[in-house]
Amino acid sequence: MSARDAIDVVVHAVDPDGDRVLLVELRPAEPGERLPAFEAGAHIDVHLGGLTRQYSLVGGGVDDAAGPGVAAGREQVAGSDHYLIGVLLERESRGGSAAVHALSVGDRLTISPPRNTFPLDPDAAHSILIAGGIGITPIVAMAEALHRRGSSFEMHVYTRTPESMPLRRHLESRPWRDRVVVHYSAHGDGFRGNAQTVIPGPEAGSALYVCGPLGMIASSIGCAAAREWPREAVHTEQFARAQAVETSGEPFTVVVASTGRALTVGPAETIAEVLRRDGVEITLACEQGICGSCVTPVLAGVPDHRDEVQSPAERESNTLINVCCSRALTPSLTLGV
Amino acid sequence: MTLLREPSPTATADAPSPERPPLPLPRGLTFTPDDWQILARYWYPVATSDEVTGGPLGVTLLDVPLVVYRVGGDNGVGGDVVIASDLCPHRGTKLSIGEDQGDGQGIRCPYHGLRFGAAGKCTAIPAHPGDTIPERMHLTTYQAVERYGLVWTCLAARPGDEPVIPPVPHWDDPGFQQINCPSIDIGAFAGRQLEGFLDVGHFAFVHHESFADPENQVVPEYMPVPTDDGFEVEYWSTVSNLPPGTSLTVPDDFLWLRHYRLHVPFTGTLVVHFPGDIRLSLMNAASPISATRTRLFDARCRNFDTDQPLQEVYDFNLQVFSEDIRVVEQQKPENLPLDPKLEVHIPADRSSIAYRRALLAAGLSEFFAA
Repeated sequence: MSARDAIDVVVHAVDPDGDRVLLVELRPAEPGERLPAFEAGAHIDVHLGGLTRQYSLVGGGVDDAAGPGVAAGREQVAGSDHYLIGVLLERESRGGSAAVHALSVGDRLTISPPRNTFPLDPDAAHSILIAGGIGITPIVAMAEALHRRGSSFEMHVYTRTPESMPLRRHLESRPWRDRVVVHYSAHGDGFRGNAQTVIPGPEAGSALYVCGPLGMIASSIGCAAAREWPREAVHTEQFARAQAVETSGEPFTVVVASTGRALTVGPAETIAEVLRRDGVEITLACEQGICGSCVTPVLAGVPDHRDEVQSPAERESNTLINVCCSRALTPSLTLGV
Repeated sequence: MTLLREPSPTATADAPSPERPPLPLPRGLTFTPDDWQILARYWYPVATSDEVTGGPLGVTLLDVPLVVYRVGGDNGVGGDVVIASDLCPHRGTKLSIGEDQGDGQGIRCPYHGLRFGAAGKCTAIPAHPGDTIPERMHLTTYQAVERYGLVWTCLAARPGDEPVIPPVPHWDDPGFQQINCPSIDIGAFAGRQLEGFLDVGHFAFVHHESFADPENQVVPEYMPVPTDDGFEVEYWSTVSNLPPGTSLTVPDDFLWLRHYRLHVPFTGTLVVHFPGDIRLSLMNAASPISATRTRLFDARCRNFDTDQPLQEVYDFNLQVFSEDIRVVEQQKPENLPLDPKLEVHIPADRSSIAYRRALLAAGLSEFFAA
């Protein structure tokens, strides 16, 4: 992160709200400054000593406004005077959540501007929001935004027991609290038992949002798929890609390292097609980024990864590319073929 | 990028205790030596508990012939299980061809009558009743654990090692009936069989006579999620799992959830969610006799139809797996190619892609079990 992206903030309040959950209010370090506006679903990087962790924004806004300053869809309010994050103390914390839980009022930190990889569809006729555990944090911001717009929505919260529920007091303070159905798994009302009721057959214009443990998100995707929801109406952060991988995009150049030849990959072509046409042997199998047969070394340039084979760490290393579906973020890619 | 949980290390399916020295390889090895050393570190069932008596039972695990028997108890019944090399140290006789002595005192070599009891110790050499028994006359033994109605062992485990046996969900829950269907022998590699257990795209084509609808062919999207020793999948579909003769009824628009868990290398479990709290939970433990032969063990439990005759369960299970065997025994190559280039994949294969990756991550070779 470049220095100009760093925002200095001060811990204004800390409020335990749920089992091992701390609601932290961050304000600009300089009084009178504003924090960047954000969309529902956005997260920030929080820098804690040498650690960086990402936390979804639960809320934020301006003190004198009627409602919190969370924008629906692509609208944004002018700025916020505070951000709220909700952080679960992980049982096997690698330092991040423990550092947050050690914060005191008056502590200073730096954060990144908000980024949104989990945006609301502003045109949805009805939104079903499903939260599991601490996954409730971006879902609360979404409910806030939908309420502010006057949009139709319902929210389902899955938690083990009433006592373990994260952000219960915060939720009870919201004007939209009657849209929330809380399901207690310890009382026999777990997600897998009623997912097919909570996720009905898709109505035109409905949108589904799920945030929670990975298994619950995967299960939701499967349940919605079996109910024949269109994939683009099912929103999660972890499994972002659509079922049919998008392989088209802006043209770019691939350089074949062994021959030095520079080849243009057209908007509707894949790297594999272009390489094969030039006589480079590439073994393809699934042709949609799920199996890994075509993984190829990247010697220069940055791939636009569109596969689901590589782990996040592998993707960030930019050393391999799935040439059946992925493209380039840089004008040129040099491949070790 | 998500936030809500701290990043956790990518699940690795490392075999336990990789730092130990290699084991001696068995005669007639059908695996590559490196793959065999890795596979030998895992636990597998070799018998159902109720088929192990005071007499010798011969089995084979990973090309290693084993003799299994009980000592103590009431003439062996309820006694401790011993698993030993199926080879008399005296003259190399196959101990499992001996007869049950009916005394709960262990087994007897059919050649010269040597007796072997608890912990595989030689207890008698009839030709020389008074002599000291040589230390090397005791059998090489393996750890034995009874769990889920099955007898488990691990060729590389040493005394004191904690057994690593995958759980059968709901086995000990109140109201669940515990069942072990008889084992089924398959002329195919365990990895091919296990991959078939995880496969959700074959129901309409292979199981239309037992439980599936031949017209219900589309596979809804599903997502494997890594776990500490493999991965899990929750597969939602309209494919029914009603057994024949059941008392259950299910609404037409009911979505069936099949929750699979894969434990590297060859054990899978499946929990089928019926309406309400009704569950069928079953373990598919593919025990590798060799690289081309597999003994499939079953441990299952259910909280419905608990008064139905077990023979119906056994028959239905055999019908379903016989349908699979027809396919799996003909797959080529016989092994499971872990290099993704070697077969062609479709989205319905996300489980098998995840399975092959998990085996690769455990260190097994790309052209697995040559």
